[in-house]
Amino acid sequence: MDRRAFMKDMALGGLAAGLAPKILAAAPQGGAGPDLAFAQGESPAAITKAAIEALGGMGKFVAKGDAVMIKPNIGWDRTPELAACTNPEVVKALVEMCLAAGAKKVTVMDNTTNQAQRCYARSGIAAAAKEAGADVPFVNPRRIKKMSIKGEWLKDWDVIQDFVEVDKLINVPIAKHHSLCRLTLGLKNWLGAIGDPRNQLHQDLDRAMVDLAAFFKPTLTVMDAYRILVRNGPQGGRPSDTKLTKTVVAGRDYVAVESVGASFFDIAPAELVYIKLAAARGLGRMDWEKLRVEKRTV
Amino acid sequence: MKKERSKKHRALQLARVAVQAAVFSLFLVLLFGTHFAGKDYIGNVEVFFHFDPLLALAAGLAARAFLPAFVLAAITLLATLLLGRVFCGWICPLGAVHQFFSWLFKKTKWLRPRKTATGGLYWKYLVLAFVLVGAVFTVDLVGIFDPFSFLYRTVVTSVLPAFGQGLALLTGFLYSLHLNGLGDKLAQTVETMTINGTFAGGFIIGAIFFGLVLLNIVRERFWCRYVCPLGAFLGLAGRWNVFKLRVDEAKCIKCNLCTLHCETQADPWPAEKWKSSECVYCETCAAICPTAAIAFPAKAGAEKVPAVDLSRRKLLLTSTAAFLAVPFFRISPASKRASERLIRPPGALPEPQFLRRCVKCGECMKACPTNALQPAIGQAGPEGLWTPVLTPKIGYCEYYCSLCSQVCPTGAIKELTIPEKVNVRIGTAWINKNRCLPYFLGRPCIVCEEHCPTSPKAIKFVMVETKRPDGTIATQKAPVIDLDLCIGCGICENKCPVMDDPAIYVTSVGEQRSETNRLLLPGLSVGAPPEIKK
Repeated sequence: MDRRAFMKDMALGGLAAGLAPKILAAAPQGGAGPDLAFAQGESPAAITKAAIEALGGMGKFVAKGDAVMIKPNIGWDRTPELAACTNPEVVKALVEMCLAAGAKKVTVMDNTTNQAQRCYARSGIAAAAKEAGADVPFVNPRRIKKMSIKGEWLKDWDVIQDFVEVDKLINVPIAKHHSLCRLTLGLKNWLGAIGDPRNQLHQDLDRAMVDLAAFFKPTLTVMDAYRILVRNGPQGGRPSDTKLTKTVVAGRDYVAVESVGASFFDIAPAELVYIKLAAARGLGRMDWEKLRVEKRTV
Repeated sequence: MKKERSKKHRALQLARVAVQAAVFSLFLVLLFGTHFAGKDYIGNVEVFFHFDPLLALAAGLAARAFLPAFVLAAITLLATLLLGRVFCGWICPLGAVHQFFSWLFKKTKWLRPRKTATGGLYWKYLVLAFVLVGAVFTVDLVGIFDPFSFLYRTVVTSVLPAFGQGLALLTGFLYSLHLNGLGDKLAQTVETMTINGTFAGGFIIGAIFFGLVLLNIVRERFWCRYVCPLGAFLGLAGRWNVFKLRVDEAKCIKCNLCTLHCETQADPWPAEKWKSSECVYCETCAAICPTAAIAFPAKAGAEKVPAVDLSRRKLLLTSTAAFLAVPFFRISPASKRASERLIRPPGALPEPQFLRRCVKCGECMKACPTNALQPAIGQAGPEGLWTPVLTPKIGYCEYYCSLCSQVCPTGAIKELTIPEKVNVRIGTAWINKNRCLPYFLGRPCIVCEEHCPTSPKAIKFVMVETKRPDGTIATQKAPVIDLDLCIGCGICENKCPVMDDPAIYVTSVGEQRSETNRLLLPGLSVGAPPEIKK
């Protein structure tokens, strides 16, 4: 379904609310390949590519002519060595793979916390993604609309339409420490796809994150754990707040990817309230060790 | 006699309009370029201020300092000594605005000069005297009247916000026409331009400006004739310039058209009444003359006629008035004791020195990436009107940004590198436990802690027990401030989810530019006091 037709639907009947998640859910399920892929190595781009290839290649997730949205964490005015935002090389590699798989259009976007221009520029993500051929627009306030989230707690919230008017959605969080929910991984990343006052969601952040993840239902989650943030999260500020783990984890099951993310911090998945909630709701599995896992070293 | 207008002076007149348009465009380019565009350090976007000799003199005098960047003003001064007020007629962007509207009002016949305008010219010399005498007594009033400050401040705090709203309306209109592609493009362009849209008192600043624009209906270039102290200053400097008006008596048909349409009331006819200190060399008289009788040949030597119709008595009276007015500008509680909401941008000089230097131009307000810097209305007393105040409810100080300090034309905000800036303390955060969710409701939040940009964070959390309304006890992470680390950036206040009156807020105490507005004396720490051995 192209965007224009989609917009028309919205204008006509406000069907968008129910429609978008259904489209995403209708994506084909994985075949006999692994459920999760780990790749380790010196180059963020190479390990990103290796992880996707281990899953069977981007062609398994992105079809020819698809409009793809890649959602990294560009939340902070921090340079890559501070590990507050997703590694730009990881994002760039994903854009290249999506386009190579035949995507018609790839967009990279986030609703930032610090000034958007500063975050886009200093994270290095805007330049890297543009170089690879992606569109990297700023959030357009005119394209934020209240939608029915149909969550257990969140009933409706302002959603940035760019994240729902696409065929495929790829979540690319970075693994970081966070004082309130201990870790910010993939589920928390969805706070960058919605409108304000999103800060108020901190009143029950765990449930909000799970409701949002269930709403957005990413096709693929690629967790950047090349350089993780181990303290003073979610912004860090000093290189000593980070740790090089040189890994990328990818998978369709975002709860499983989330659970692997926790292991980088030596935290059991069940210790994180939101992972437990998500698994209990059947959104994915937190016992990731029981899944088919392929590890590659580049 | 053959009636024919001077082609040469018509060409000069058109050249003047072209130069004015070019300079005004350059002004806009520099203005629109004053925002974060990917680089930590911005170029010399404030450079045009440095060509202003009045700012150099008045701000320098008030600050008792030589402002090195203003050496460029010597060029303007030298040009004026040689060529007269060409700066006013050809260069000044505010002059161009008034010129444009005067032209427009004449075209629409709202302004139809019918008889020779007389008198009133001395007002601007009085404004100049007022400003300079104020400066001698360290009250910096030049920014209120200086044309560059006036124009820049107005465009930044009122014209641009209105422009931004207009663009937003246009974007909405495009979407309503289903021109989504165009709408998206426009929205992205607007976002990239970084138009700060919120300014306290922007309406008043805009109203003053448009009031002065409308006065062009009364007299052409009203501001330039009667108000502008820079025009007065350059008029005094340019009296002995080399180009003197000459009317060819043989050709002159005494129609008075030149004097009637003179933009600045310089009275080109009769020639002996011509005031070179009022003439801005706009070439209107020479171009409009039906018999091409007017020219400006080079002729060295002092002028014969007294150029300024300014009596010594008026000047003396104004200077005395200015002298007497100075203390009134200092009537402010802010001078008695630091004002808690008077948070100055990082790098701002200590308050008394800051007030002496700040020319209220609004450069810092344009550069600020979060719209945090607002024109002061009452916070800084009368002399601090329209000086920048960081207002965390509107915006916060972006941790790795020092743009405001880089663009300040007078050094009222000392230029800082990024590594210098991140260590500058501009205030201190406080928690209102009566409104803070974990403290009074026992609900999780600590959004402030998440946003605190320092490492380690200046906002830490402690576990706090709270009695809920039903008597049960909640244990929750609640924020506390580490005074050793807080720099007062205000992002905590800005992002606090308690919208109307944030539960965490910044006040000026602890600002490192002040030796008195502080909390802990040096050498003391906020941790537990050292144990005393018995």
